[in-house]
Amino acid sequence: MTVRDEILDNATPASERLWAVSWPLIIVVSAVAAIGTAMQYSVAGGAFDPWAAKHATRYIAGLGLVFFISSLPVRFWIGIAYPAYLGVLSLLIAVALAGTEIGGASRWLNVAGVNFQPSEFAKVAVILALARYYQWLPRDRLFSPVHVVLPLALITAPVALVLNQPDLGTAALVAGAGIAVMFVAGVGWWYIAGGIAAAAALMPFVWSSLHGYQKERVLNFIDPQRDPLGLGYQIFQSKIALGSGGMTGKGFMRGTQSQLEFLPEKHTDFIFTIIGEELGLVGTLSLLALYSTILLILLYMCLRCRAHFTRLLIAGAAITLFLHLFVNAGMVMGLLPVVGAPLPLISYGGTSLFATMCLLGLAMNAFVHRRESIDPKTVNALI
Amino acid sequence: MILDGRHEEDRLRNRFTRRMLLVGAAQAGLIAVLGRRLHELQVIEKDNYAFLSDNNRLSVQPLAPVRGKILDRHGQVLAANKDENALFVVPDLAGNVENVLDALRDFIRIPDEEVRRVIALSKRQSRILPIDIRVPLDWETLARINVEAPHLPGILTEIRKRRVYAGGKDLGHIIGYVGRVASHEPGQDPALRLSYMKEGKSGVEAGLEHQLRGTGGSVKHEVNARGQIVRKIEQVPATQGDDITLSIDSALQARVMKHVARYGRASSVVLDVRTGEIRAMASAPSYDAADIAAGISNRAWNKLRNDPGKPLMNRVIRGQYPPGSTFKMVTALAALDAGLITPDEKFTCSGSYEMANHKFGCWNRGGHGRVNLHRALKESCDVYFYRIAERLGMEKLAETARRFGFGETFDTGLAGEKPGLVPSAAWKLFTLERPWVTGETLLAGIGQGYVLATPLQLAVMTARLATGKRIVPTIEKVDGNSAAALPQSLGFEEAWLRRVRRAMFAVVNERGGTGHSASLGWPGVHIAGKTGTSQVSRASRTRRNKDLKFELRDHSLFVAYAPAHNPVFAVATIVDHGGGGSEAAAPLSKKVMSEALKIHWTTPQGQAGSTKLGQIKTKPGNRTLQQTVLRQRSKLQ
Repeated sequence: MTVRDEILDNATPASERLWAVSWPLIIVVSAVAAIGTAMQYSVAGGAFDPWAAKHATRYIAGLGLVFFISSLPVRFWIGIAYPAYLGVLSLLIAVALAGTEIGGASRWLNVAGVNFQPSEFAKVAVILALARYYQWLPRDRLFSPVHVVLPLALITAPVALVLNQPDLGTAALVAGAGIAVMFVAGVGWWYIAGGIAAAAALMPFVWSSLHGYQKERVLNFIDPQRDPLGLGYQIFQSKIALGSGGMTGKGFMRGTQSQLEFLPEKHTDFIFTIIGEELGLVGTLSLLALYSTILLILLYMCLRCRAHFTRLLIAGAAITLFLHLFVNAGMVMGLLPVVGAPLPLISYGGTSLFATMCLLGLAMNAFVHRRESIDPKTVNALI
Repeated sequence: MILDGRHEEDRLRNRFTRRMLLVGAAQAGLIAVLGRRLHELQVIEKDNYAFLSDNNRLSVQPLAPVRGKILDRHGQVLAANKDENALFVVPDLAGNVENVLDALRDFIRIPDEEVRRVIALSKRQSRILPIDIRVPLDWETLARINVEAPHLPGILTEIRKRRVYAGGKDLGHIIGYVGRVASHEPGQDPALRLSYMKEGKSGVEAGLEHQLRGTGGSVKHEVNARGQIVRKIEQVPATQGDDITLSIDSALQARVMKHVARYGRASSVVLDVRTGEIRAMASAPSYDAADIAAGISNRAWNKLRNDPGKPLMNRVIRGQYPPGSTFKMVTALAALDAGLITPDEKFTCSGSYEMANHKFGCWNRGGHGRVNLHRALKESCDVYFYRIAERLGMEKLAETARRFGFGETFDTGLAGEKPGLVPSAAWKLFTLERPWVTGETLLAGIGQGYVLATPLQLAVMTARLATGKRIVPTIEKVDGNSAAALPQSLGFEEAWLRRVRRAMFAVVNERGGTGHSASLGWPGVHIAGKTGTSQVSRASRTRRNKDLKFELRDHSLFVAYAPAHNPVFAVATIVDHGGGGSEAAAPLSKKVMSEALKIHWTTPQGQAGSTKLGQIKTKPGNRTLQQTVLRQRSKLQ
């Protein structure tokens, strides 16, 4: 039995707990972030300004955050889960009341001169709260309807607020990740089937509540020929960029689509197309392989956890990461409608990057404390 | 219970593991879908997308700047811009130009050859450049086209600026005109590539092109593979060119032009000796820039170009004439400055001077007898100047000539200034491959031989003689308040300048002076000047001018400044083949000078300027000059 397989608890020095993080995960995540920095450099026309340097700096700060989060005891995170959730919820309400409006959507909040998107942190808060909830939930009540509706309400509150901003992409991602966490937490199959049926029944209602441009996006996705010069054009250009990259790409910093500024939001939501154009299929598949490696490591990590809280944290992080990857890549390839979803660790954007690092930090914390079993009494005491 | 709990935990853990593996499998499946899609896009459909990518580009349209206006010194607009509608096609946006033109022909009539021209042009030049279909376009058609515009890709209309000129023939040479851009080098303003972009071709339009033109802008459109504009990405507005205020007084210009035109082929320029401003500049025959701007026919253009009177040539800056006797002041000052003669030293003129077995004649075959500087200039004795030129040598004479502005251009703001010619031994060896002979120095001394000057240079010489300062001519109005405009001294001794000026006063105002026909006859106001006759053929030496063919007759020259006691204007006049200086150029100069003075004294602005600048001139030296002038005047009366 090595030191690292021993139970790490509050008595273990922080330095030892730091050493217990999953180094393979750190290495692969760093590799992806490095690719992100390189692409930001390329999109800026071969310059660290305005994106690449900031992206790298933020990643390094985010890495510090990961170590900091993992060094704290699990109980701290259990304790803070609900307050954090309520905090994010109140931030979302603040956005609704006093948010900064950019491009017809009010997503930003300015606190002490720092602009950030509380909706990004909703992703973290919902997973933390759900893990906390299922850690507490007595196992025999997993199938009681009340205890299925409660976590659903937990998910719905922030999702409704985010949808109201309006930010369809983030809302869908938060909802999707939350429901997936409920699924792995052990909610009965019948509820899952019923939920899908209910969602289908609610579609017309959701549709009518959508904003005009959101409807446009969905309609354009269904029929790209509808408006080839409008919104469908973005995806058309994105596909051209990807397709023209071919097997090996046009070369780093040689993407004509990006150089000619054909792609909108090329440094944020459409960065994947630049990778495709400049590095080709080799580049895009390598990136998918790197993400898959991260997901595999996270899967391995969550299966080794003793407590429900810790494994749900890791599972939540893995699911959120995957959903972002899939929605973003699917969107730029024309598989999904255009919704704003950043490519984790690669797209430019501080809030999104810090939210991702928070999730990875929580997952890492869970892994460090994987052998800890949490006494239901301590959980009850915390409520 | 504990066992039960453990059992429960294990079941939960197993369920989690099962479901997490299920989620992982789903993720793997979806990532595989992404990979498959990537393979589809990047390998199977690669060629298709690569083609689209090549066709994809930004369409950058240059925007033409608005040309600056040209105003006269009192703010009267001489050249401006007028709106006109243009209908054009941008091949890059149209895709198939032929089809689009066909569709357009449903709405307006376009002749077949016009269609062929547009198609040919679209194949020859960059496809982003617009090709005009109809300019100007009437409002009715414009409205119709604009309604149909969505169905006519690449067919666009816009409001353009057309250059319009006021002032007619009076100002043709000064303003010049604009025309198609002759050549476009990479790195130059891309707006120059626009077919309708104009650049100055002559006169101020060309000379001050860079101030007038402004800077082109551009509008960047995102264009899809079908060549349609998707959206405007960026627009850099063009910067309007600067307005130019000329030194020209258009009222004076009109009057001077009227006088000059009476002499057929003639030119005259009025220079403000205090500032170097060109107040009027007349060259006849002339042309109307408006005719050329309106789109001149080939026939009319060729007629202008081949006219023996050369109406397109501004004689004031481009006519190069031997200055003849008007050059004698330069020879005199060169000799005085070099200390080779004194003003009172006398030379004998017997009607000719023999040197190296060559006889150099004086215009007065009978000879002038014993002449000093004063008489030599007043009566224009050639022999006197042969003698002092021989003493001087060509080098010193050339050096002084350059100090007076001969042999150089002034960068007045008018395009196409000619430098004239100040010959030298090195120049002759280089161009004619023959050594210099002293006889040529003698001829240069009387402004003949190789020496060439433009009327502008003669006016500059006169202004420099009148002021002793390095006056530089300009076509732009000089700000009276700027101290930087004050010219520096030429460095000639004031006493020598005074002697020369006194002689020039005598030329016009003393009995026996050759320029008596230039006398104003106004009380208290006098012109000082010098006649000149430049020989066109040797025949004029033996035969009377009237008996010669027009083209062989002498040119008649006159330079003048006035008022003699406090110079304001310098005038240089040349009447082509007008005979002796006193015959044509002197009386014409008198008329020009009197118009200039009349306007000067009746325009409040002019008077204000004169007092302001007059103060600068009040130096002890000038008082004696004025006294001299007054003495001369009383002597005449």
